[in-house]
Amino acid sequence: MTLLRHILAKLGWYAAAFAAALALNFFLPRLLPGNPVDTLIGQALRGHASSETKQRVYETYIAEFGLDQNLWTQFLTYIGKTVQGDFGTSFSRYPADVASMVADALPWTIALQLPAVLLGWLIGNLVGAVAAYRRGGFDRSVYLSSLFLTAAPYYCLAVLLLYGLAVALPLFPAGGGWSFGLKPEWTGLFAVDAVSHWFLPFLSLLLVFIGGQAIGMRSMAVYEVDADYVRFAESFGLADRKIIGYIFRNGMLPQVTGLALAIGTLVGGALLTEIVFSYPGIGTLLYEAILNKDYPVIQAVTLLVLVVVLVANFLVDVLYGLIDPRIRAAERGER
Amino acid sequence: MKALKALPPRFHTAAAVFLLIAAAGLIGPLAAPAGPGDLLGPSFRPPGADFLLGTDHLGRSVGIQLVHGIRTSLYIGLLAGIAGTVLGVLIGTLAGYRGGLADEILMGLTNIMITVPAIIVLLLLSISLDTRSVTVMGACIGAVSWPWTARAVRSQIASLRQREHVDIARLSGSRTWRIIAVELLPYMMSYIVMAFVIQLYGAILAEAALSLLGLGPSGTASLGVMLHWAIAWESIRGGQWWVFLTPTVFITAITFSLLLVQSSLDTVFNPRLRAGKAAR
Amino acid sequence: MTLASLTNLTAHYDAGEGRFHALDDVGLDVESGRILGVVGESGCGKSTMASVLSLNPAPSLRVTSGTLAVGGKDVDLTDPASHRPLRGGTVALLPQGALNALNPTRRVGALAHDILAAGDRRIKRSESLRRTAARLEALELPPRVLRAYPHQLSGGMRQRVVTALATLRNPRLLVADEPSSALDVSSQRLLVDLLRRLVSDGLVEGIVFITHDVALLSELADRIAVMYAGRVVEEAPARDLVASPRHPYSQALLASVLVPEPGTRGRRLAGIPGSPPDLRAPIAGCLFAPRCEHAMDKCTAERPPRLVTGPRDDSCWRSAESEEAVDAA
Repeated sequence: MTLLRHILAKLGWYAAAFAAALALNFFLPRLLPGNPVDTLIGQALRGHASSETKQRVYETYIAEFGLDQNLWTQFLTYIGKTVQGDFGTSFSRYPADVASMVADALPWTIALQLPAVLLGWLIGNLVGAVAAYRRGGFDRSVYLSSLFLTAAPYYCLAVLLLYGLAVALPLFPAGGGWSFGLKPEWTGLFAVDAVSHWFLPFLSLLLVFIGGQAIGMRSMAVYEVDADYVRFAESFGLADRKIIGYIFRNGMLPQVTGLALAIGTLVGGALLTEIVFSYPGIGTLLYEAILNKDYPVIQAVTLLVLVVVLVANFLVDVLYGLIDPRIRAAERGER
Repeated sequence: MKALKALPPRFHTAAAVFLLIAAAGLIGPLAAPAGPGDLLGPSFRPPGADFLLGTDHLGRSVGIQLVHGIRTSLYIGLLAGIAGTVLGVLIGTLAGYRGGLADEILMGLTNIMITVPAIIVLLLLSISLDTRSVTVMGACIGAVSWPWTARAVRSQIASLRQREHVDIARLSGSRTWRIIAVELLPYMMSYIVMAFVIQLYGAILAEAALSLLGLGPSGTASLGVMLHWAIAWESIRGGQWWVFLTPTVFITAITFSLLLVQSSLDTVFNPRLRAGKAAR
Repeated sequence: MTLASLTNLTAHYDAGEGRFHALDDVGLDVESGRILGVVGESGCGKSTMASVLSLNPAPSLRVTSGTLAVGGKDVDLTDPASHRPLRGGTVALLPQGALNALNPTRRVGALAHDILAAGDRRIKRSESLRRTAARLEALELPPRVLRAYPHQLSGGMRQRVVTALATLRNPRLLVADEPSSALDVSSQRLLVDLLRRLVSDGLVEGIVFITHDVALLSELADRIAVMYAGRVVEEAPARDLVASPRHPYSQALLASVLVPEPGTRGRRLAGIPGSPPDLRAPIAGCLFAPRCEHAMDKCTAERPPRLVTGPRDDSCWRSAESEEAVDAA
C-alpha cells in the first residue's frame, strides 16, 4: 500500500519532468531568433540537388508538422503523432520512416549499454568496497586508476582501445556492427562476428563505468568501514568477504541513487562511444542525422534518450524504496 | 596557506600539468607561424622536422590546431564554468536563504534540470543555431550546468542560515544581500572554488562532446572539433595516430588534472573525508 | 580459579617518526565467575587494551610482547593474524555504542547466523535460529526479534540483542568496552543487571568491564584495576579500592568523583592538577610523578615495582618504602 503511494508520488514527479522534456524537445529549437522553421527546412534541403526531391520533402514536412498552423497547434499535432509512435519521415534517407530507423538501431545500443551498465555497476561497487576495506596501496591504486577512467571522456578511452586493439594490434575488427559481406540474420556465423565487433565498444563502456562506480562506492564505504557494526562483526572473526558484503550492501544504497544519476551521463557518453566504433546503434544514427541535418531523426533520438533516462530514474527510485528497509519503514511511519 | 601545504603531492603535479597546458593555449597561438585553418602541406604528413605534430586530412598543421584548440576549449570552459558557478551559487543561495515558496519553485526546477540530461538540451540548442560562436557555446553550456551547484549550495546555505552570527546580523538590521555577502558566502569559499573546478571540468567535456557530434564552434579549432575531423576522416583506422591521439591525449590530460585538483581539494576541505583519514 | 590472565602486554602505535607507547607491561587476572573492572581517564590505553583483549587490535597497533592465557589456551598477542578463529568463541567483545553495532540492513536472525557460521562453517541456518532464539529468550527478548531489522527495535532492546549476540558462541571471557558510556542512568542500571546475570547464569565465565565511570564499577565489579598512561597502577577488590585507594592516582581519581558509599556525603570534589604525560617520549620513572603531590626524587628516576599485599597490589614508591620499613622493623 505504502510502496504504491511512494510509487504514485514519484510517478507524478516524473510525469512533470517528462512534460518538461517533451516541451523542451519541441519548443527549444523553435523559440530561437529568426524563423527557425524555415531555417530547419533550409538546412535540411541544402545539398539536395534535385528540385523534385526538394519539393516532395518540403511538402511532406509542411503536411507532417502542420507548419501553416500556429506553434501551439503544431505542438499538439507533434504530441498526438509522438504518442502514436509516428516520428515522421527522414530527410536524408527520404522516404524512410524515422520510427523504423530508430527501431533498427535500438537493439544494438541496448545490447551494448545494458550489460555494460549492470556489470560495471556490480564490479565497480565491489572493487570500491574492497578498496575501502583493505586500504593502503591497493586502495590508492584503485582510486587513482578509477579517477583516471572517469576523468577521461568515454570516447577518449574508446579511441585508445580502438587504435590499440584493432588497428595497431589487430585483435578485433576495427568498428562497425558486423563484417562487410554479412547480413544481420540469426545464424551462428553472424552471431560470432557480431560479438567480436561488440566486444571493444562494450569493454570501453564497462571500464569507464567500473571506474565511476568504484570511486562513488569507495567514498561511501570509507565511512562504513569505521562504522560500529563493522567493528562488531570483526570482533566475531567474520570472514573478510562477509564484512565486505555488509559494507557493499550499506554503501550500495546511496550508490543506487548514483546509478540513477549516472544513467543520463552514461547514455550520452555511450552514444559518443558508438560514433568512435561506427557501431550501428542510436549514437551513430544521431551522429549521421546531425551531419545531414536530418531534423526528424534528431528529434526522435533526443526524445527517446530523454524518455529512457526518465524511466530509468523512475525505476531506480522505486527499487530504492524496495531495497532499503529504513526507507520502507520511514514510508510506513515506523521508527 | 596552511591548507595549501596540507594538499597531497598529486595536487601540485596535477595543477602544474593543467597550468602548463593552459600556458600552451595562451602563448602557442601567438607564437605559431600560421593560422589553424591554413593549408600548409600534404595531407596526413607524420610528425617530423617540418610539422612537429604532423598534418591532418587537409594538410593543416596539427600542432598549430592544437594550441588554438586548447585556447578555444579553455575559453569556452572558463566562460561556461564561471557562468555555471555564478548561476548555481545565486540560485542556491536564493532558494536556501529565502526558503518557502521560492525554495520549492527553484528546487523543483533544479531537480527537473538534473533529471533531464544536459547534453541533450545542449544538443537541441546547438542544432538550431546555424553558426555557433565560442561565446554563445560557452553561454549555452553555462546555462544548463548550474543545477548541481545550486542544489549543493542551497543545502549548505540552509544550514548556515541557522547559525547564531547570522541571527545576530539579521536582528541588528543588516540587509539581506549584506548578510549573504558577509555572513554566509565567506564560509562557502572553499566549496565554491571546488564547485568551479568541477564546472570547468564539466564544461570542457560538454564542449568536446558537442564538437565530436559535429556541433562545435564554427570556424575555429577546438580539441573536440579536431577529434571530430579525425574520426570523420577515418584517421584511426588509417593509422594516422598523430591526428587523433593529439586531441585525445590533451582532452584526457586536462580533464584528469582538473579532477585530481578537485579531489585533493576535497580531501583537505571536506571535514568528513579528513576525519575518515585520521581514524585508524 | 583464574579464568584468564593477561601478562606483560606492551604495545605502541607508530606515530610519524616516533612511537606512541600506548600500553606498557600490563598484566591482569580475571577470576572465574567474576567481573573485573578497569578504570581510567580517556587516553589511558584502556580501549587499546580492550581491542587487544578481544583479539581484534587496530591494524596500526604494534604489540611487542604479551600473552593471554584463557581457558587453558595460551594466545600469543604479538601475532594478531592468528587470532581470528578465537574471536567471538573464546573471547567476545561487547562494544561501545551498542545502538549502532548492528548492521542496519541485516535482520537480527541473519546476523546471528553469520556470527555462528564464523565459528562453525557447517552450521545450518535453522540450527542457528534455534540457538539464537533460545539465547534471546534467556535475555527476555521475544522470538520476533529474529526477523526484525535493527531500526525496528527500541534502544533497550538493541542493547540486549547486542549482548545476546556477543555471548551467542558461549565465549569464556566477555570484554565490555565502555558499553555504558552512551547510556542514560536507567539504561546503565539495566545493563549492569544484565551483565551480572550473564555471569551468574553461566552464559560467560568472566567479564572485563572497561569504563571511565568509577561509581558504576563500584557497584558492578568484583575487582577493579586502575590504569594510568598505559600502565596498571593499582588493582584491588572493588570494596577495598573504593574505601582505601593506595596509589596517589587512584586516590585522586576517586576524589574527583562521587561514589555512593558511606562518608561520601559532604566530601569535596577535587580535580587532578596537570595533564597526562606525552606517551611519545619514553619516561624512566613513575608516569604520575609530575602530577603527584607526594612525589620524591626516586619517583622520577626509577620505575616503581609492583607490590602485592594480600588480595591487592599497587605500583608506587611510597607503598614500597613503607613496606620496606615494615620489613626492616
